[in-house]
Amino acid sequence: MAEILLSEAEKTFILHGVEEGFRCDGRMRLDYRPMEVETDVVSHASGSARLRLANTDILVGVKTEIDTPYPERPREGKIEFFVDCSANATPAFEGRGGEELGTEISNSLATAYQSSQTFDLTALCILPGQQCWKLYIDILILECGGNLFDAVSLAVKAALHNTRVPKVKGACLDGGTVDLQLSDDPYDCCRLDVSDAPCLVTLCKIGDHCVVDPTAEEETCSSGSVVIAITEKSLVTSVFKTGVGSFHPQTLIDILKVGQTIGLSVNKALRAALLEEEQQGRKKECFGFLK
Amino acid sequence: MWTTKTFLKKRKGSVLKIVREHYLRDDIWCGSDICTICAHQNEELVLEKNPQPKNKKFPFPHYIVLDTCVVLNQINVLEEDALCNVIVVQTVLEEVKHRSSSVYKRLLDIVGNPNRKFYVFVNEHHKDTYVEREPGEKVNDRNDRAIRVSVAWYESHLMSSQADRRKRDRVKVILLTDDVDSKQKAENEGLHVATISDYVRNVEDCPGLEDRLSQHNTTYELQAGGREPLFPAHFTPSQIHQGIKSGKLLQGSFLASRENFLEGQVNVEGQDKMILVQGRVGLNRAVDGDIVAVKLLPEEEWSVPSHMVLQDEGDDSEDVLEEENAILKSKDERVAKLPTGHIVGIIRRKWRQYCGILQKNPIEGSVRHIFVPAERKVPKVRIETQQADILSSQRIIVTIDSWPRNSRYPLGHFVRALGTIGDKDTENEVLLLEHDVPHSKFSEAVLSCLPKLPWVITEKDVQSRVDLRHVDICSVDPPGCTDIDDALHCKELENGNYDVGVHIADVSHFIRPGTAIDKEAALRATTVYLVDKRIDMVPELLSSNLCSLRGNEERFAFSCIWELTSEAEIVSTRFCKSIIRSRQAMTYEEAQIKIDDLTQNDTLSKSLRGLNSLAKILKKRRIENGALVLASPEIRFQVDSETQDPIEVEAKKLRETNSMVEEFMLLANIYVAIKILEDFPECAMLRRHPKLPVSNFEPFIKAGRNLGFEINSESGKALALSLDNAVRPDNAYFNTMLRILATRCMMQAVYFASGMVQRDEFFHYGLAAPVYTHFTSPIRRYADVIVHRLLAVSIGADVTYPDLLDKRKSHSLCHNLNYRNRMAQYAGRASVALHTHLFFRGKVQDEQGYVLCVRKNALQILIPKYGLEGTLYVSPHKGAKQNVTFVYSEEKQTQKCGDVIFRPFDPVTVQLSLDRSNVQHEKIVLKLVHPQIPGFSVPSLSSVKRKESDENLQEEMEISEVSVSPPIEKISTKKQKVK
Repeated sequence: MAEILLSEAEKTFILHGVEEGFRCDGRMRLDYRPMEVETDVVSHASGSARLRLANTDILVGVKTEIDTPYPERPREGKIEFFVDCSANATPAFEGRGGEELGTEISNSLATAYQSSQTFDLTALCILPGQQCWKLYIDILILECGGNLFDAVSLAVKAALHNTRVPKVKGACLDGGTVDLQLSDDPYDCCRLDVSDAPCLVTLCKIGDHCVVDPTAEEETCSSGSVVIAITEKSLVTSVFKTGVGSFHPQTLIDILKVGQTIGLSVNKALRAALLEEEQQGRKKECFGFLK
Repeated sequence: MWTTKTFLKKRKGSVLKIVREHYLRDDIWCGSDICTICAHQNEELVLEKNPQPKNKKFPFPHYIVLDTCVVLNQINVLEEDALCNVIVVQTVLEEVKHRSSSVYKRLLDIVGNPNRKFYVFVNEHHKDTYVEREPGEKVNDRNDRAIRVSVAWYESHLMSSQADRRKRDRVKVILLTDDVDSKQKAENEGLHVATISDYVRNVEDCPGLEDRLSQHNTTYELQAGGREPLFPAHFTPSQIHQGIKSGKLLQGSFLASRENFLEGQVNVEGQDKMILVQGRVGLNRAVDGDIVAVKLLPEEEWSVPSHMVLQDEGDDSEDVLEEENAILKSKDERVAKLPTGHIVGIIRRKWRQYCGILQKNPIEGSVRHIFVPAERKVPKVRIETQQADILSSQRIIVTIDSWPRNSRYPLGHFVRALGTIGDKDTENEVLLLEHDVPHSKFSEAVLSCLPKLPWVITEKDVQSRVDLRHVDICSVDPPGCTDIDDALHCKELENGNYDVGVHIADVSHFIRPGTAIDKEAALRATTVYLVDKRIDMVPELLSSNLCSLRGNEERFAFSCIWELTSEAEIVSTRFCKSIIRSRQAMTYEEAQIKIDDLTQNDTLSKSLRGLNSLAKILKKRRIENGALVLASPEIRFQVDSETQDPIEVEAKKLRETNSMVEEFMLLANIYVAIKILEDFPECAMLRRHPKLPVSNFEPFIKAGRNLGFEINSESGKALALSLDNAVRPDNAYFNTMLRILATRCMMQAVYFASGMVQRDEFFHYGLAAPVYTHFTSPIRRYADVIVHRLLAVSIGADVTYPDLLDKRKSHSLCHNLNYRNRMAQYAGRASVALHTHLFFRGKVQDEQGYVLCVRKNALQILIPKYGLEGTLYVSPHKGAKQNVTFVYSEEKQTQKCGDVIFRPFDPVTVQLSLDRSNVQHEKIVLKLVHPQIPGFSVPSLSSVKRKESDENLQEEMEISEVSVSPPIEKISTKKQKVK
């Protein structure tokens, strides 16, 4: 991860602050920074979202393509994550610098979405065993201000919410090949149900306490973090640890409990935001940098 | 200012979301002279200041806006000068272009006429009239809305410029639409609106305009939503497999009809009747030759072939399936129905590369074109090419890639160009390719198998062969023949018997099994004779030199020698490899003169006379046994020696000597067949001609019965007899035509390996021989080479090899031989047809012809002089007007027009000419001269000055045309052609 150079004194300051329940930007330990989300920012994509979490800026585009399902899961579609760490975000991403981080994030998302109880892949099936939709989720990290996991997962969920899969009116086998009939109306699309899509919540251990939504500076002070993937139904789909530090079992249990409640509220907040945006309808104003 | 348009596109199995930028402008002018707002250039002022349309319904000056349906359906009305000052919005223009390129072109012509005052308003890019599609709105609804928005815009735009005019002088805008929904909406929006018929009926000063109104409001019904697939889906391979296993489906090869593109048959192995498939759905994208799975319909849905000559005339890329039902529904209940089915899946595509021509898209600059194959059984193919201008005058090769369900034609791509259309080399190339004739140069590997020159006969050769160099042998062939593969001799013996020998070129001496030359010859299977070209089976050194039994040269031969009594009873037979020296290579004519000229008494003349007299006895005996004498029209071209263009056509003459040579060749073939079958009961290569079920003769018998002749097809002999008796004194050609028809009823003779067929099926029906093979032409037929090898083994002159004795390998070899033979035959006929075309360039001739058969909409006419069969259409093409109607009677097989009745075999006089109006598709046109039918027939050439008849020709070009394809259909016998 992109390291920020901090002096010992600064680190101690942050550490002591967290100990006391105060953070540099005035938040409590379990407070998030303000977040902005906007969907449908890339007209060429089937679905897109841009999410800004203070200085962290994420752009997600979803592309739908037709593919053949895995033989062992003939009734399911496919989903694939790709994270591109733009060198704009930090000079450390230049060249292949961001690759490792990108792989880590995409792997964590793939794991979080893997469970059959999360995002419903059967909705992406066109013709069992023959054809399915494959969602390519391209994540672009535009700016890096800490807490990438959370930001990326929220942006992905928002983009999936925005995704419109072309409606297949009829699919049948014509000899050995699949013959599809698509609706020619670009508005006649299927939406995806994202209510079970997980969000990632990072709990960053600084000193003896955990904070959510760490800034880049706070991440530098942390010895390790636990990332929890959690759905709106408070189902934890994956948990993993990043960083070198270790956790006492009791701490870990406490952290998971905290993470669960936080995850729920984050999910809820995102849903509310997306609904609010949708209610503005087609007339909504575009803020995205692309327009 | 811009907005974006989004739409989905399906490409190569994937769905793409495409977003295009769409610019909206504020500098698009309204094109009206009234307008004071728009910054027009002068030439842009198309619409008049004071339009004066005289319309009772709208008695005020107005402009007209058209809706898409109106343009598509009523283009005839629009082409009249009555409607002026019309605004064509871009939405309409685009949609018309999309629906029908021909209507689009006509509309553009109207717009281009400055007197008509049609103005194209680019509403889609105008900032005030651009309309975005709403969610849930259909494309058509959006387009209708866009048109209405434009109308409303014009109305208010013009109003502001003519505020100073009196109210009743103000120019209004009227929307013409036939769409009820759109009309209603327009009324609600306060626009002037009318249906086209309503408007046209009220137009003053233009009588007859109303008549041009198309009543077919549904011709171009704009489909809502996505286009429905035109074809049902094919079954999956596993479904087909199961279906065939369980007997619900049948597997067979699909044979498309040459005459009707909506009809075809499926030849299922093991069934004596072919399964009929009809209609686009029934054919379901099968292309001629494909192996298909077919589902039999219940018996009450069985059908009969439609008796229609129908060509796919669809001229552009529209996918409109009109007329099909009309074609299929007109059925006569009384006729025996054939098993009918639907093709439900393709087991194996037999797509190959097709020759043909490009039919350019009428829209300039378009890259999508239609390819029209030379073979009429093959559907047109849709291709994309940038070089249409160059290619449209060339013969091109196209291959089919796919045939999706929503496309009327298969999709393909351009492979290469062969050359200019009409050029003889190009056309020859086309017909060789079309008939799958391997015609490339012989490879180095093949040529290296040839013996080194000078070739000398060694002492060893002499020892292993019988020396017949002292015998007076001669050969008799057509003039100009260089591949002489047979020679004869006849010598009177002391006991009064004759020693008769047939000597066949010993090709198997030069072509050893397993060598490159052997493989190549096996692939080619036969030499192909075109009118001006010969495609050799073996390299020329062998075919025209070392193997050819030329006069006064020592050659190796395979001899078959009999001792015959003077009554032509065979006393003994022997076979041997020999060395011969032919005394003279004669033509049929020379031989005939030698026989007839009794002053010549040399040994050659004597032996020819002996042969001739024996041949007559043999022939008589053969015919008594029930051999058939069949006929097919054969012609010969006299070719200009320099340009190679045909200058004269004549029917081939048959002399006694032809039949003489033929008899001895038949004799040799039969005796060789007996010999090899005796020694190789499992793997002898023989030739059989299956007898047909009587049902196949039914149409033929019916035709005979209508004229009072009873044809008996119970046995070969009975048929031969009844054919002999069917003679009409008033029609000398009648008997020949009957024989031609009989030939067409029959199956083709085929090669087979004796181990693969039941013994009782060996019979050769046409020759009435229990076993038969081909032995006498090894230079030009590969089957003969195999027979030579078998015979050589059986007389101990050569060794055998494994493939020769493997009946399965022989079987597959036979398969190829049969296929190549058939193709070679077709190629030869196509070549004759091509030269007939060349011959008729710039000529108009009246010729005597005969009605060969009567079709529902046409007469098939045979012109014996040219061996040409053409179609005389009696019902007009769509669009063309004809004052005369013909009545078809299926029962009696007649076409009746007034007092004139056409029956099969009736003589007629027709006028032949070549229609070159379409460079890409020259065709011979037939027009009736006699019997005269006013309004239909044309005056004969002699009675009219040449000039007038040429004019006539122009007018009636469309009425009839001739088929270029070989005249004989898929079932026809091999006439015993012995060179």
